[in-house]
Amino acid sequence: MSKDIREGSKAALPIVLGYLPVGMAYGVLARAAGLSTLEATGMSVFVFAGASQFIAVSMLGAGAAAFPVILTTFIVNSRHVLMTSALARYFKGLPVGKIIPLSGQVTDESFAVAMADVSLVTGRPNYLMALQMTAYGSWVSGSIIGALFGSIIDSSSYGIPFAMTALFICLLVMQIRNRVHVIVAVTAGVLALGLQGILPNNLHLIIAATGAAGTGLWLTLRRETMNGVWSESNKE
Amino acid sequence: MRLEILLIILGMTAVTFIPRFLPMAFMSRLKVPKRLSVFLEYVPVAVLAALVFPAVFAADEGGFGIDPTLLLSAGIVLLFSYKLRNLWGAVVLGMAVYWGLSSF
Repeated sequence: MSKDIREGSKAALPIVLGYLPVGMAYGVLARAAGLSTLEATGMSVFVFAGASQFIAVSMLGAGAAAFPVILTTFIVNSRHVLMTSALARYFKGLPVGKIIPLSGQVTDESFAVAMADVSLVTGRPNYLMALQMTAYGSWVSGSIIGALFGSIIDSSSYGIPFAMTALFICLLVMQIRNRVHVIVAVTAGVLALGLQGILPNNLHLIIAATGAAGTGLWLTLRRETMNGVWSESNKE
Repeated sequence: MRLEILLIILGMTAVTFIPRFLPMAFMSRLKVPKRLSVFLEYVPVAVLAALVFPAVFAADEGGFGIDPTLLLSAGIVLLFSYKLRNLWGAVVLGMAVYWGLSSF
């Protein structure tokens, strides 16, 4: 068990490198939007969903009421449905008491790192828990540092704006194992680019990812029909 | 902490938790149909690509755009990742290259 925790925490380190500065940027923006240090930190402690927190504080800064902020948060974070659905298969029959903390901390980044090598995650809730807790710790720490001393570091420098993108590029490369994966990736990317200006609140992510994964399913089924047998080859 | 902000945070927590919790709670217990399970296998690559493309083909003011610094940094990280598959290295290299290129 301690091995799971050690390995999980270690796997989170590239995320930490991205979360610390981005959490700091969030802390700065939250303070600028009129939240106290405690309120800014509280949001990170309870919500722990970066994109929605940035949107929420900018809405609050512009004087938005509670309901629109909460509704927007729901829409932005509904994309996690896809990720926790995909993760569920690696934790068959896990007690609800463990599902609560495990699912409650799923983020784009921890999901992607976990899926980079599913053999490390399968049946190891403590590995994923440690991965997510480490990411969570860095997000909350970053938020506090940003809220308290945010003005000290310039979060648009040191390549900080590119940290998450670099992480995602490497994770994407690691996910691509066959030709269908390439087609799915390009479909998702093109759909996301095309829809991002049309759909608000990150909805383009859900539509693009669903459409592209659907394309992958269609290609797999078509190949299966043509081969006449279920092809296992797409799995690896 | 102001009461209104506390309520907003609690509301945000609830609506963020539900889409994270429910699918994992149900699908770890149900027998998932084969088609759905094939679909879910493509979710990681699809989600990542949907995050990466808009981040790489982005204009300064948001939205679609071509930014040489961004594209070059992304290209270098892509090559590095393809060769070495090292997450930590990709992030550090990406930040360094982007920082270097944006200083010019």
